[in-house]
Amino acid sequence: MPKPQLILRDAPGETHLLLGNEAIARGIIEAGVGVMATYPGTPSSEIADTLSAVAKDAGLYMEYSTNEIVATEVAAGAAMSGVRSAVAMKHVGLNVAADAFMTLAYTGVRAGMLVVSADDPYAFSSQNEQDNRRYALLSGVPMLEPSNPQEAKDMVLHGLELSESLELPCLMRTTTRVNHVRGPVKFGAIRKPKLEGGFLKDVQRFVMVPAHARVRHRVLLEKMRAAKDLSESSPYNRVVREGTELGIITSGAAYNYVMDAVEAMKVDAGVLKLGMTHPLPERLIGEFASQFDEVLVVEELEPYLETQTRSIAKEYAPKTKIYGKLNAELLPRLEELSTALVVQALSRLLGRETPVNFEEINQKYREATRRLPPRPPVMCPGCPHRASFYAIKKATGRKVVCTTDIGCYALGIQPPLRVGDALICMGASLGLACGISKATNSRTVAVVGDSTFFHAAIPGLINAAYNKHKITVAVLDNETTAMTGDQPHPGTGITGMGVPGKRILIEEVAKACGADYVKVVNPFNLKEATETFKEALQVDGVSVVVFRQPCRLLVVRKARKEGKKLPVAVVTDDCTNCKTCIEDFGCPAFYIKDGAILIDPLLCTGCMVCVQVCPYGAIKAERREAE
Amino acid sequence: MKTEIVVSGVGGQGVLLLAETLGTAAVLSGLDVRVSEIHGMAQRGGSVVCHIRMGEKIYSPTVMEGQADAIVALEPLEALRVIRYASEKTTVLMNTRPIAPAIVVMGAAKYPDMEVILDAIRRFTTDIIEVDAVEIAEKAGSPIAANMVMLGALASTGKLPTPKENVEKAIENLVPERYKEINIKAFQMGMEAAKKQST
Ligand code: SF4
Ligand code: SF4
Repeated sequence: MPKPQLILRDAPGETHLLLGNEAIARGIIEAGVGVMATYPGTPSSEIADTLSAVAKDAGLYMEYSTNEIVATEVAAGAAMSGVRSAVAMKHVGLNVAADAFMTLAYTGVRAGMLVVSADDPYAFSSQNEQDNRRYALLSGVPMLEPSNPQEAKDMVLHGLELSESLELPCLMRTTTRVNHVRGPVKFGAIRKPKLEGGFLKDVQRFVMVPAHARVRHRVLLEKMRAAKDLSESSPYNRVVREGTELGIITSGAAYNYVMDAVEAMKVDAGVLKLGMTHPLPERLIGEFASQFDEVLVVEELEPYLETQTRSIAKEYAPKTKIYGKLNAELLPRLEELSTALVVQALSRLLGRETPVNFEEINQKYREATRRLPPRPPVMCPGCPHRASFYAIKKATGRKVVCTTDIGCYALGIQPPLRVGDALICMGASLGLACGISKATNSRTVAVVGDSTFFHAAIPGLINAAYNKHKITVAVLDNETTAMTGDQPHPGTGITGMGVPGKRILIEEVAKACGADYVKVVNPFNLKEATETFKEALQVDGVSVVVFRQPCRLLVVRKARKEGKKLPVAVVTDDCTNCKTCIEDFGCPAFYIKDGAILIDPLLCTGCMVCVQVCPYGAIKAERREAE
Repeated sequence: MKTEIVVSGVGGQGVLLLAETLGTAAVLSGLDVRVSEIHGMAQRGGSVVCHIRMGEKIYSPTVMEGQADAIVALEPLEALRVIRYASEKTTVLMNTRPIAPAIVVMGAAKYPDMEVILDAIRRFTTDIIEVDAVEIAEKAGSPIAANMVMLGALASTGKLPTPKENVEKAIENLVPERYKEINIKAFQMGMEAAKKQST
């Protein structure tokens, strides 16, 4: 059954294999959420993508907002008006949304509002490993942490109820090993979404001027006390395993590793699993800890539970020793956990051998893989970014500092292109370029993608124009949000409901922001792109070049759908073996066999940029034969 | 009883589909299952690894070192890259068709000889099944179905707790209508090819 139909299936009791994110989407449908907003980001993207595909049929409203704070405000507006809402983002997205999120805890909501933050321990696809559980502490809102897809779905419903009973948004903190894990999910009944509400005016509650804010802060503290009682009796906070030897407190994905590690080590451990992790159930934790001489806290990233457990234990279980990351450093504060890491922590704590000799395996592994060539992700064959970077590289002669941004184009830092000297967060390329240009007294280039441009680059661009910074902005416009799975954005003019919205053109925005020079080029015309960029570098003031060419994956998909064949590039006998195509340009469709330069027709997508790169005219476009 | 499988390959080879097929087959067989995937940045032509664990009750979504019952590698280097999950009990099923990483194409590193790769794998397990999955997939109708050839090879080892029919049903559930026939054929041919080798 195709996914959209499956997700909408009104068949309570049926069990299907769902990705954690699909399970969350299913929960949102079962809960009758009326408004869903998002800005895509790994590992959260499939939540909203799944809903976008079914929104019309499900009768809910779904939008890709320009960024996470806007998405949060949209969802908040709906929940203030009595319509259940949800917003999903990756962990760093909550930094963007934080301004709204923090004060939303003061105003609160009227209908349920769920904020999903998908954290990424190990930074598989992120610029940092921040632990967003601390946002719950910071803001005061209740938080749930699921351990698997089934729980993720169930917690959506529970979270919205919590949110309604406390009139606060509820944070659901997931991690990659929940979002991107598939597991069986038992469906519940679907509640018809309520899309129409009404905004009841209440100035003291919803207008956060200082006098009102001080009052609402007090209200928030009262709600937190109520939330703590709910946490003590939460069905998600419970002892899931009885034992006498050791107490283990855990939450989220870490719980899974704990259960396997306890079995592997044959430890008679009691396990307290926490699903509602803000506010923490102090009494439950304290009484659990008091039963043991030693308690091990197992959690990913920061010692969030551990620090709080230690202060709780001081009162409830002063004789119990609390272990984790802080005490004896049994577990790492970096990257993600695994069963192996928990097994090793148990082994060190209990002085017992591990069932597997990890040291031997690791030693053997290091030896076996010593000369294993790495295979990092690369830009696809025919990727328009490769052509844009090639033009930028030629135009700047590599003598200019180039800041870069978040997206597939961050891969441009790899050889042979090597464009990108600084990257920190969405939209930072512009602000950084302003500062670098000021401090170095030289023109600086900022590389930014189309979706990122709308998300966070516009204030930076206005700043550059207003303060007369010497920067040149390269907007790599591939007409989609490619890295996260091809979501639309304002530049595409298509909405999350799959219908046309208003298309916003980057070049027009750039002009309106005060840029002194704005041009649009096709990066597949290398000469024109390079010449234009050279010209842009000479402009006195802020120049913007939009490199527009759709993501190659979209082009390939479209051709396949229409039954069309894209052309293929072929290396002819004129090849002198200079290797410019490989060592200077680097399309992954190229390979060398017995010294000859060749192109893999299965990989080539026919962009014909290599044809322009070859100094000897040795590469020719050919029509692809029908299969 | 648990069955633990690690699937590895290069972005674009269909590692994720292979893993989802196994997960679906497990659910069809009434088993608990976790399939662990990595999306986003990790998919752009880079190494891709999926873990599948199935059984009566499953907690961890990832396999512990040395615990895999089978490793299915769609590319030789990628077999080696996940070899820490193998031990004597592991069957390594390897598609023999190499894909050179960018660094090799650029001449900055060498692609190891097949014998070197096999020797390194043998330090962990000698139970290795080599399959020219691309060739077989071409015979089945499309080289892209190499992942299904490897799935067939895995099914032939008898290590899956799910009946073959459920794997086929899972393929039918997941693959678009027009590719169904090719994929089922590739799966069956993969089974045959591996059977021949292990006897
Ligand atoms: S750039 Fe042209 S001549 Fe040089 S190696 Fe490549 S195909 Fe041959
Ligand atoms: S045409 Fe050339 S650059 Fe474009 S995908 Fe094919 S080989 Fe690569």
